[in-house]
Amino acid sequence: MASRRFATLETIAFAVLACALVAAPFVVSAYQVSNLMSFLAFTLLSMSLALIWGCVGIFSFGQVAFFGIGGYAYGIIMLNVQHPEFTFPALLAAVLIAGGAAALLGYFIFYGGVNDVFVGITTLAVTLVIETFMQQTAGSQWHVGQAQLGGYNGMTGIPPLALSATNTLGPVPLYVFAAVAVIATYLLLRFLLASRWGRGLRAIEQHRERTESFGYDVRLMQLGAFALAGCIAGLGGALYAIWGGYITPSTMGLSAAALPVIMVAAGGRSSLIAAMISTLLLQYFSQSLSSSGSQYALVILGVVLVVVVVFVPDGFVVALFRLAARIGASSKPVKG
Amino acid sequence: MEFVSGAFNVLYQFTDSFALLVLASLGLAVIFGMMGVVNLAHGELIMSGAYVTTFLANKGVALPLAILVAAVTAGIIGAVLERLIVHRLYGRLIDSVVATWGIGLVMSQGALILFGPSIPSVSTPLGSFTFAGSTYSWYRLVLGVCALVLLLLMYLLFMRTKYGVQARATIQSPEMARSLGIDTRRMYTLTFALGAALAGLTGGLYAPTTTVVPTFGSGFIVEAFVTVIVGGANVLIGTPLAGAILGGVNSLLAGSYGTFIARVGLLLATIVVIRVLPRGISGLVARGRS
Amino acid sequence: MGHILSLRNVSKRFGGLRASDGIDLALNAGELRCIIGPNGAGKSTLFKLIMGQLAVSSGEIFFREENITALPMWRRARRGLSIKMQVPGIYPDLSARENLRIAAQLHVSRAALPEVIERWLTRIGLLDAGETPARFLSHGQQQWLEIGMALSAEPALLLLDEPTAGMGPEETRATGELVKSINADGTTVLVIEHDMEFVRQVAQRVTVLHYGRVFAEGSVAEIEQHEDVMRIYLGAV
Repeated sequence: MASRRFATLETIAFAVLACALVAAPFVVSAYQVSNLMSFLAFTLLSMSLALIWGCVGIFSFGQVAFFGIGGYAYGIIMLNVQHPEFTFPALLAAVLIAGGAAALLGYFIFYGGVNDVFVGITTLAVTLVIETFMQQTAGSQWHVGQAQLGGYNGMTGIPPLALSATNTLGPVPLYVFAAVAVIATYLLLRFLLASRWGRGLRAIEQHRERTESFGYDVRLMQLGAFALAGCIAGLGGALYAIWGGYITPSTMGLSAAALPVIMVAAGGRSSLIAAMISTLLLQYFSQSLSSSGSQYALVILGVVLVVVVVFVPDGFVVALFRLAARIGASSKPVKG
Repeated sequence: MEFVSGAFNVLYQFTDSFALLVLASLGLAVIFGMMGVVNLAHGELIMSGAYVTTFLANKGVALPLAILVAAVTAGIIGAVLERLIVHRLYGRLIDSVVATWGIGLVMSQGALILFGPSIPSVSTPLGSFTFAGSTYSWYRLVLGVCALVLLLLMYLLFMRTKYGVQARATIQSPEMARSLGIDTRRMYTLTFALGAALAGLTGGLYAPTTTVVPTFGSGFIVEAFVTVIVGGANVLIGTPLAGAILGGVNSLLAGSYGTFIARVGLLLATIVVIRVLPRGISGLVARGRS
Repeated sequence: MGHILSLRNVSKRFGGLRASDGIDLALNAGELRCIIGPNGAGKSTLFKLIMGQLAVSSGEIFFREENITALPMWRRARRGLSIKMQVPGIYPDLSARENLRIAAQLHVSRAALPEVIERWLTRIGLLDAGETPARFLSHGQQQWLEIGMALSAEPALLLLDEPTAGMGPEETRATGELVKSINADGTTVLVIEHDMEFVRQVAQRVTVLHYGRVFAEGSVAEIEQHEDVMRIYLGAV
C-alpha cells in the first residue's frame, strides 16, 4: 500500500540524514561543521513551520518571530546572568519563553475565532510589529538588565553553551549538540503525530468543524500545536544566537519570514523530513552561491517558490517519495 | 495664532497620512475585493512604478506623463502575472499569497541585480510654502488631492462604467455573473491589471519624495496591508474610511512618538480589528444594511 | 420528566430571519423520531442548535437533564451527542478505517479501539474496503461510513440529517434497517428526512416543522392523515 511505503521511505530518509549528521564532524572540515550548525538552527525553524502548516494546516508567517524571541531571550538571560554554568537552563528558558509567546498569540488567534488566511495575516502583522519595534531599539536606554537590545545591529556578545565555568563548548561539540537537538525534535514530533492528539490535528487540518463534532477541543489543540511550534522555532533561534554570538532584528523580518516558507514549500510541507532535507539543501545551495559572489540566490529561491506552488504544490521531495512509493508498490505482486 | 498654526499642522499631517494610506492600499484593495487574493507582490509593483517614473523623468519626460506611463507599465506587468501564474491559484488562497510573495521576491532581487542598490532620484516638484512659521511641501498636498481624485475615479469606474457593473456582479457571485454572460476570466485579469496599475501609479507619485531602491515597496506594504484589513473588501467605502481613521491614528502617533511607533500602532490596530471585525469596516457596513 | 433531550422555547434569529421560532421538543430515551417539513422549515438549523454548531438566540436545551445551552460542540459530543450532517463529513484522504478511528478514538479506550473500528467497519459493510481512501467509495458507501463514524462513539443520542439523500430505493431500505437496529440497541435517534417511505419504515413518532415552528406532532399515521400537514407541503398554508 503506497501510503505505508511512503512512511517507510520517510523513516529511511531520516535514518540516512541522522547518520549523515552524525558522521559530518569526521568527514568535513571544522569550518563547514560550524556552518552546518547554523543550517541546523534554520532546520528547526523549518520544522516548526512544517508542523504548524503541513500537519495542522495553519499558515503562520510568525515562526521567525519566535525564532528571534528564542535568540533574544537566550541572549538577554545570559548577558545578565554571566555564569557559564547557566547556559543550558538559559537555553531551556529561551525555548519556553518562545513557546509562551506563541501560546499567548495562539490564544488570541484561536480563541478569538481567527482562521484560515487571517491567521497568516495576523501572524504577519505581529512579526512586522516585533521587527519594527526591535529595529528602533538602538539607543542605550533600550536594554533588559545588562543586555543592550542594540537596534538594527542587534545584540552581541552572546556566550555559547558551556558545561561548566571552564568548559565552554567549541564549534564541533556545539554542532553535535545541535544535531542531537534536531534528531530528538524529529523523533518527538513523529511520536506526537502518531498519537491520538496528532491524528486529531491532522483531522482538524482536513475538516475543522466536523472534527469538533467528534468531541475534539479544536481550539485547545490548535493552541497546543502552535505553542509547540513556537518552542521549536525558539530552540532554533537560541541555537542560532549561540552559533554566531549575536542576534539581529533582521532574523525576524519580512524577508527572513520568506525563507522558511520557501524551503518548506519546496520540500513538501506535509512531511517533516522532506522539509528538513530541502532546508539543508537550499541553505547549502544559497550559501555556495553567495560565497561565490552571485547575487542570484534570492532570485532563484523566489522562482523555486513560484514554480513549486503552481506546478508541484506537494513539494519536490514529497513528490519524489510518492513516485518512489508508487513504483515500489506496482512492482510487487498484489497480496491477498 | 498658535492654535491656527497647530491646527494646520495637524491637518497637514492628517492629509499626508490619509494620502499615503489610500494611495498605498487602493491597488491591493481592488484585487482583494474581487478575488480575495492578498497580492504580496504589491510592494514590488509600487517599486516598478517608481523605477519607470524615475527613469523617464531623468530622461526629460514630464513628471505627470512619466507617472502615467509607469501606471500603465505596472498594469501590463500585472496582467502578465495574472495570466501566467495567479489565475491558477484562485481556489487556493494561501498558495496565492505564497506565490505572489515569491514573485515579489524575484522582482525586488531582479531590480537589485539589474539596476544596483539605488538609482538617481527625481527631486520633489513644486517646492514648499510657509504657514504660521512652519514649512510645508506643496507636493504632499497635491498627493492628498490625488488620493481624493483617485477615490472619485474609482467610484465612477465601479458605478458608472460597463466594467464596473460587471466587476460588481462578479464580486457578488461569480457563478451568477458567468451565467449572465460575463467573462469572469477576463474580469479577473482586468482587475488584477487595474490593481497593479494603481500600485504603479502610487510608486510613480511617491518616487520624487524619497530614494528609489529595490525595496521601495517596503515603505508602503505595511500601510497598504493595514488599510485593506481595516477597510475590508469594499473599496469604495472601506478604503476611504479606513484611510481616514488610520490616518488619524498614524498622524497622532507619528507626531508624538515617531514613525516607528506609529507603524507599530497601526499594526496593533490591525490585529485588534481582525479579531473584532474580521471583514473590516466593509463588513460592519454590510451588516448594518441587512 | 426523564426526557433524554428537551428543547424549551428555542429560537434562532439571523438578522431579521427567524430560522427557529419558539421550539418546544421533548424526546424520550430510546425513541426513534423523524423530523419532517417543507424546505426552509428550519430542520437543519434545529440540528445545528442541538449539536452546538450554532448558538441559540433564546431558549434552553437540556440533554439528560443537564442544561447544555452554553456548551460548545465538542463538549456535547463528549457527553453522548453525535451527528451526521447534511454536508459530507468524511475525511476524503483518509481510509475508511482511519475515518472511524478519528471518530471513535476519543470515546473508546486505547485497548478497545481496534475491535470497535473493525466491528463498525463490518456493520456498515466496508470491511473489504477498509483501506480505500474514502474519496473512492461510492456515494452510498460514503453515507454509511458517515453514519458509522457518528455511531462508533456509541452515542446516547444520534442526529441524522437526511441519511438517505441521493440513495436509491434498495439502499434507502437498507439504511432504514440499519437505523432501526441501531435504535433497537438502545440509541435514541432523531432523523430529518424527506423520503416518506423511509419515515414510514422507521419512525415511531413524527414532528412536523414549518416556518421554524413545531407545526404538528404524532405517530406516522396521525401525521399522514393530518389535513393541515398536507396543505403546508402543497404550499396552501
